[in-house]
Amino acid sequence: MSEIKKIIKGCLSGDRRDQELLYRRHAAKLYAVCLQYSGNDEEARDILQDGFIKIFENLDRYKYEGSFEGWMRRITVNTALEKFRSKHNLYRVDDIDLMPEIDAEPDNQDYAGLEANDLLEIIRELPPKYRVVFNLYAIEGYSHKEISKMVNISEGTSKSNLSRARVILQRRVGSYTGIKKRIANG
Amino acid sequence: MDERGANIDIVFRNGLKDFEVLPPPEVWNNIPHIIKKGPRPFIYIRVAALITVLLTLGFLAYILNREIVTGLDNAVTALNSETVPQQTTLSVDKPPFVKVKKSNTVANTTQITFDASSEKPIEPVRITSPETASLQETNSMIMSGELYRREPILPFLNTSGKKSFEITEPGQLKYEEPDQLKYTDISTIKTTERWSVAAMASPTYFSRFNSDNSELSKQLMASQQTVISYTGGVAFTFKINKRFSIQSGLYYSSLGQEVTGINSYAGFQTYFNTKGSPNFQVLTTNGTISTNNADVFIMSDGPADRIQTSYTKDVFDPQKASLLYINNTMHQNFSYLELPVLIRYKLVDKMVDLNLIGGVSYNLLVNNSVYTIVDGGKYPIGQTQGLNTISLSSSLGMGMEYNFSSNLSLNLEPTFRYYLNPFNEALGSKIHPYSFGIFSGLSYKF
Repeated sequence: MSEIKKIIKGCLSGDRRDQELLYRRHAAKLYAVCLQYSGNDEEARDILQDGFIKIFENLDRYKYEGSFEGWMRRITVNTALEKFRSKHNLYRVDDIDLMPEIDAEPDNQDYAGLEANDLLEIIRELPPKYRVVFNLYAIEGYSHKEISKMVNISEGTSKSNLSRARVILQRRVGSYTGIKKRIANG
Repeated sequence: MDERGANIDIVFRNGLKDFEVLPPPEVWNNIPHIIKKGPRPFIYIRVAALITVLLTLGFLAYILNREIVTGLDNAVTALNSETVPQQTTLSVDKPPFVKVKKSNTVANTTQITFDASSEKPIEPVRITSPETASLQETNSMIMSGELYRREPILPFLNTSGKKSFEITEPGQLKYEEPDQLKYTDISTIKTTERWSVAAMASPTYFSRFNSDNSELSKQLMASQQTVISYTGGVAFTFKINKRFSIQSGLYYSSLGQEVTGINSYAGFQTYFNTKGSPNFQVLTTNGTISTNNADVFIMSDGPADRIQTSYTKDVFDPQKASLLYINNTMHQNFSYLELPVLIRYKLVDKMVDLNLIGGVSYNLLVNNSVYTIVDGGKYPIGQTQGLNTISLSSSLGMGMEYNFSSNLSLNLEPTFRYYLNPFNEALGSKIHPYSFGIFSGLSYKF
């Protein structure tokens, strides 16, 4: 039996040490996912905590088919989406046409030198509805049709949000790169 | 704009791919100790269902057997003989007396009954009234000048081994041959050979019932073709009685389907060397296929939402990247080890026996692969996710058994099998697979 299977079995039998072992092994990667989907650290911590509770509660449904890490990641993303829906259901997120147009900049930028921390910082500065659609489409690989069902928006809104998220990100990445270069050149 | 957008997507995807941030320690402290309750009750439900099915089959078989035995009893009595008129005093648990042919011409004969095992003559009983007959512990009687003999209900129940002799002339014994029709089956009964072992194999046509009318389900079904599969293994049969046998064994079955409209390309690893999560996921009615071959790139001919991936057409063009086109069909293959528990009921017991076969099988998933064909060889793509590792199927078949000799026979068994649970319950599937196969093989009795 592989080590991860032993840990899962221990978790299923209620062994707290195995639960902690599972948490220590995967928390850092999943916390990074939580940070991507949340606007602040407190929200990210809540997502991680709720996500792990769900993981432990549903561990018996994992069939050892496919990546265990991928299975945990999907639960974490779903938890983040639940938080997003509970916070953002007070207004319709597809009133996007009222937003001012943003002109795209030519994509001749040099992205070299950008680190994961910088990218995370940039992505978290996006408005929540853009951030969620960009994460689901570009990072997780969901289609617009799937996103529309997950976030309760139309496919058109999903495409529009993605487009605007990309423009904002290109601008911010450009600014970051420029600042970094200026710092590097003294 | 799309190309630029796709570019920024890749920057973030690759940049954040293996990113890790240590969470604050209080997060773990706030996660309560979660204790899962024991195994889910559906395991017990399945076991209970299996026992119920077997008990029901057994009960039905018992009822059917009783009815047939009673029917045969009446049929045997009516064949060539006249029965003694209804006598209320005759014991009902004894077979009726039947008049023996050719003896009615002998007016005054002396009947002697021999016990075949001891060869000692048993004195006949001359009876003058039917009432007297009910009191005698004998297998023959003479009444009103007619010889009556108690016939066995069924040939194989005739364990007394008694034969009748009749003196027609002084010093001459006439042996009463048992009625051939009544005793035909005696020679074929071999109660000592209770076990048999058989090697069986079958080509299997596999398909499924779909009660899901959603558009996506219809699209997926339209792009999937079932393929001829095969099943083979060893079966052991234990004969409970003349009619009933219980059969088990171990079978290996391989089944699957073709998924068309999915273009596969090789050489993708050169561009994206990903780890962990699969690059592509393809929806099928049997579950989601996840790629585990980092070198394969997949693109749909039809609806794009069949494939879930970060590498959509606007992100990566396989033709521009000069990837090697392989095929537009995927093969989804599942292999199972089957443990059947079947009841066989013998309908006809002749040179060619006819059996009704029914029961259930536990199927253990042992192989799950998805591949495509390139130059006649298999090119691995991935696996189907979320498949049930154990599934339950029910079987109903009709078996023909041609006896070469008392020990060796040729079997031919057309069998219909219905899977009680879908291959993949994780998707909430409403698709129940079924298969039809004609098993053939040799069996040896011992």
